[in-house]
Amino acid sequence: MSLLQEEREIILNNEFVDNFDFAEVEEFVRNADKELFISHHFAQKKKMLVQPRGGFPTYEKQFALNEFFVKANVDVLPLTIDSNTRLNDYATAKKMLRLSEETEKDMLNGYPLVNHGYRTTRKMITHFNKPVSLRHGTPDARLLIETAIASGIFEIEGGPITYLLPYSKNFPLDKAFLYWKYVEKVCANYSKLNLPINRESFGPLTATLVPPSITIVIQLLEMLLSLEEGVKSFSVSFSQTGSMNQDIVMGAVLRKMAKYYADEINCSDAAINLVYHQWMGAFPTNKDYAEQLINMSTVIASMVGADKIITKTREEASGIPTKEANAKTVANTQYTLGILNGLPKIVDQEEEEILSLEVKAIMEAVFNDPADTLWRKVFNSIKNGTIDVPFSPHIINHNEMITVRDANKNIRIIKRGNVPIPDKCFLYEKSKCDLSKDTTSIVNDIIHDIGIMQ
Amino acid sequence: MKVITGVVGNDIHVVANRLIELSLDARGFEVFNLGVNTYLEEFFDAAVETQADILLISSLNGEAEGWAREVKFLKSKYKTLDNLVMMIGGNLVVGTAAAKDIVPRYRNYGFDLVFHQVDLNTGLDTLEEYLKTRNI
Repeated sequence: MSLLQEEREIILNNEFVDNFDFAEVEEFVRNADKELFISHHFAQKKKMLVQPRGGFPTYEKQFALNEFFVKANVDVLPLTIDSNTRLNDYATAKKMLRLSEETEKDMLNGYPLVNHGYRTTRKMITHFNKPVSLRHGTPDARLLIETAIASGIFEIEGGPITYLLPYSKNFPLDKAFLYWKYVEKVCANYSKLNLPINRESFGPLTATLVPPSITIVIQLLEMLLSLEEGVKSFSVSFSQTGSMNQDIVMGAVLRKMAKYYADEINCSDAAINLVYHQWMGAFPTNKDYAEQLINMSTVIASMVGADKIITKTREEASGIPTKEANAKTVANTQYTLGILNGLPKIVDQEEEEILSLEVKAIMEAVFNDPADTLWRKVFNSIKNGTIDVPFSPHIINHNEMITVRDANKNIRIIKRGNVPIPDKCFLYEKSKCDLSKDTTSIVNDIIHDIGIMQ
Repeated sequence: MKVITGVVGNDIHVVANRLIELSLDARGFEVFNLGVNTYLEEFFDAAVETQADILLISSLNGEAEGWAREVKFLKSKYKTLDNLVMMIGGNLVVGTAAAKDIVPRYRNYGFDLVFHQVDLNTGLDTLEEYLKTRNI
């Protein structure tokens, strides 16, 4: 028995798992309908796929939410997991699920997939026969993704960096890399049986003034870590920055670089998709304004040429959205996409060149780390601040980089910390900003820059 | 002058915490930022370790009130913290309440300076004034 299979048996031999039948699950994946695979829909390239967010604790409510989504003409269904499951606390999730079922009051902020189990969940997934995307935020997602794939969920979001640095203060990063290596291997192995399981990275990170170069580098590194384990379909992603031009530049550079680095490790056979998140920062409390913002995000996603868009709702500022509000966004977004025709092609060569130079310089610094494997190089690079994510709560993150918005609301780096931004690029970034201000007014600007959509 | 700062409890809201660090730094303080998700013991341990003059605790989700009740008891167990300036700010209750009700409560919990939903720079200006009056 391989080491991986030994580990899988340990992971799945868990008091919260009801007899995981490896052979039956393999048979299920082998014979699964191609409609369930988002990789199949990406390959057809018919239109930008629309995917909302959403998860409710009970099976009935999740089923009802999916019904609403399907009526609204959804392309990809979400399954958002509750926060206890994300922290591997299945006992609390179980208790809260029972409370939710008995009182009809939601005691969890998502669907406790492990507690529901794959036999139950698979009924829902195969009933709707739409691709489902697993949304979570779990550093150790081994049990979760085994349950997800066995249920018919063939897109797994996340990664060791993007699901850790924005969400955790002190979960060990090195452990996250190893746990996600397991996820990649399992996804790669199942991909051999039928169409590929798609992996997606979470580009928004902290959604707070993260400069494009940092987002792109982290997207590329998670892509490489996934492809090197044999994953054949991967989505890089990012969220609306606040400047349409910066979004377009970022999309173009991310696509080019993803192809370039995938080729570099001889993985040009893997499909690379681009995913755009509607505005992930603080939303306006005025629900009509929120709809305008969402609509604008859809227009920008089209300008970027995204393969999939992930939607927000008009209720974003006030908590977990109702299924009605959630489905309304899906319908609205589909409508907007349907009427957006004859988009102009915008290319900003100067910005693309600057951003490409920054990305290449950081990637080179990561590759030049003396460690023996890629994940260790990446680990060291985060530890020594070569990669620095603004506003990450994690203790390993350096927090030395400072970014502000320029007059056109582009995110600019005004302090680079240990990130090897080339001098030429750094001068360019700073030249766009008013640097004569004292720190107190810069802090006020940053507060304003974070809340530009409110 | 040395300041310990951080967000108390299981609160992971990091944005203001970073801005507090930047602002304190700009005003010439030596800042030890413990970050989000910090427990009271960690604050006091850090104050002893660094011989800090000021402890600036912040809260966004409002869980501070649950923790603040234990401040006096816990602080009394440390021998060298009698002169530590105790400051707290942010959103200091779960739900809503008026500052005029909240401030006296937090004074009783053992804080010298209490800022409920007050602008960061106003809070830090007040801190600097307060330090002058105490001749620190």
